[in-house]
Amino acid sequence: MQFFKNITVKQGILTTLLVFCSVISIVFVHHNEQFYDRPIAEVIKADVAESEPMTDMYDNDDYLFTQHLTAVIKNGQYKGQSIQLTNDYSSSGAFDQEYHVGNEIFVSINNQATPSVLTGSILDLKRDQTIIIIAWIFIFGLLIIGKRQGLFSIVSLVVNALILSFALDLYVEHGSLSLLLIIGVCVLLFTIISLLLISGLNTKTYAAIISTLLGTVIALIISSVVMWITGENGLRYEEMQFLTRPYRTIFMAGLFIGSLGAVMDVSITMASSIFALYEQDPTISVKALKSSGVEIGRDIMGTITSILFFAYLCGSIPMVILYLKNSSPLGLTLSLNLSLELARALAGGIGVVLTIPISQYTALFFINRKRVKA
Amino acid sequence: MNVIVLLAVILCILMVIVGGKQGVRSFISLFLNFGVLFVTIFLMTNPKNSPIILTFIACTVISCISLFYINKTNSKTITAFISTMVTIVVLLLFITFVTKKSMIQGFGEESTEEISIFSLYIGVNFVQIGASVIIMSTIGAIMDVAISIATSMHEIFYRNPSISRKKLFTSGLSIGRDILGTDTNTLFFAFFGGYLSLLIWFKDLSYSIGEIVNSKVFSAEMMTIFCAGIGIALIIPIASSVNAYYLVKTREKTE
Repeated sequence: MQFFKNITVKQGILTTLLVFCSVISIVFVHHNEQFYDRPIAEVIKADVAESEPMTDMYDNDDYLFTQHLTAVIKNGQYKGQSIQLTNDYSSSGAFDQEYHVGNEIFVSINNQATPSVLTGSILDLKRDQTIIIIAWIFIFGLLIIGKRQGLFSIVSLVVNALILSFALDLYVEHGSLSLLLIIGVCVLLFTIISLLLISGLNTKTYAAIISTLLGTVIALIISSVVMWITGENGLRYEEMQFLTRPYRTIFMAGLFIGSLGAVMDVSITMASSIFALYEQDPTISVKALKSSGVEIGRDIMGTITSILFFAYLCGSIPMVILYLKNSSPLGLTLSLNLSLELARALAGGIGVVLTIPISQYTALFFINRKRVKA
Repeated sequence: MNVIVLLAVILCILMVIVGGKQGVRSFISLFLNFGVLFVTIFLMTNPKNSPIILTFIACTVISCISLFYINKTNSKTITAFISTMVTIVVLLLFITFVTKKSMIQGFGEESTEEISIFSLYIGVNFVQIGASVIIMSTIGAIMDVAISIATSMHEIFYRNPSISRKKLFTSGLSIGRDILGTDTNTLFFAFFGGYLSLLIWFKDLSYSIGEIVNSKVFSAEMMTIFCAGIGIALIIPIASSVNAYYLVKTREKTE
């Protein structure tokens, strides 16, 4: 009961509002079929007709299944009619999946002579229902545990995603604009918005913004110089996925944005600790501030680089497994699938480490200026 | 000269200059982590091994390296280790359920072209591998929060040894909240950077919102972001309660 007493009226209203929104949106995605152009069908009966073991040319054993599905069309001109579908899937499920009763799937309906029984083929699962539920778990988790900071990190995620999406729209529509220029402007906005949301309007935020920008730009310059000196030897762009544009600029732009978060993390951590030391004891010597700055930097350096490292490299796991199981040579597999990610992680790491002294000196500069004024 | 080698050399030199001995240890641990990751992937290619159990073991080894090797074994790193492991178990259960439900495993339609030359029926469980990918992407951030909370709570406890367990727990929560913002940011931007080509792809081929949201690749990326956020949030109360429990327990023992 104590818990409820601590809630203020404002929080109460906010909570009710959020619960209301979540319920509405979840109900909506379960009944939004008419907003889709593609036909959607809900599976009402699923039988596995056949299953057979199979071995591919590399001696991998798998099971193949054929499923007969009966589904009801939920939108469009055939709404309410049932449709017969067959689904082939394997037990490994790299590119296919088993459907269960209650799943909603996108289908394409065959043209047919006899309209009594519809047939068609399966396109994909309708995933919005699960996504929205997880999104709400994410929002509530962050809000309940993180309170104000949780709210701010959700706001910063949403705002930054919108800025990025808008910037990419600009890029796609106006081919003449350089991607690096657009991303540069984005990075400026991302840094200012995120750091203001994290630590508010004050000197330590300004110090952090300046050191973040310096750190990312220097890291970017270093990586460009390295790529230029080595002639990009060892970077394999062939396996870069989802390419519609020149790959090099996209890679550099991704590198630019990717290291930004980690560099911001370092800058704000350094700035807040150094400013906190100064506020505790305004007469503290520059030397003492410097040495504790170095100390803090050493502590965070390893963990932040490993955050980047794992965030980048793990995404390639499924592709590496697919390569290895198809008897691709180990060296080729690794260089094709991991070279870009590894380069990104290393470049980000360089940014992180460089930002430690940069943010230390920026913070000291601001503190000295404060002292002169006072 | 190879780009990767040169970048690695630069990183190594910088880490040594800035971090001294600890910098050397950080750099070595990066290498060890890469080794663990690689061995894990290699073991995952054997269909008899469960990817989930492999992930759990890999996470244990990675946390041992990052916590005990960089920071030395002491009560701080032990509590950080326990809280990391508890969080990983909870997250693993949650994420396995999520990947199963949303069917985001394996490869999306967008990759059809490049995987067409491969045999896809390779016997490994891609649903579990999908869950492993998500959990391994966030392990770095989870450990970061765990060690920061453990360090600060120990500090608070030594400054004020008579503090009550509840107060200790709430101060742990407030430390966690301060790191929450920066760590989620680090991950969000790392993912944004990685998905840039995918986002441009969607824009270039003018996907509708409905197509984007329901596509396998995009859902998988969103799930990764959400699960990362949930993981970072989840470790805060777990680490706070583990540390509060441990610190108060040791005080009772000495009395």
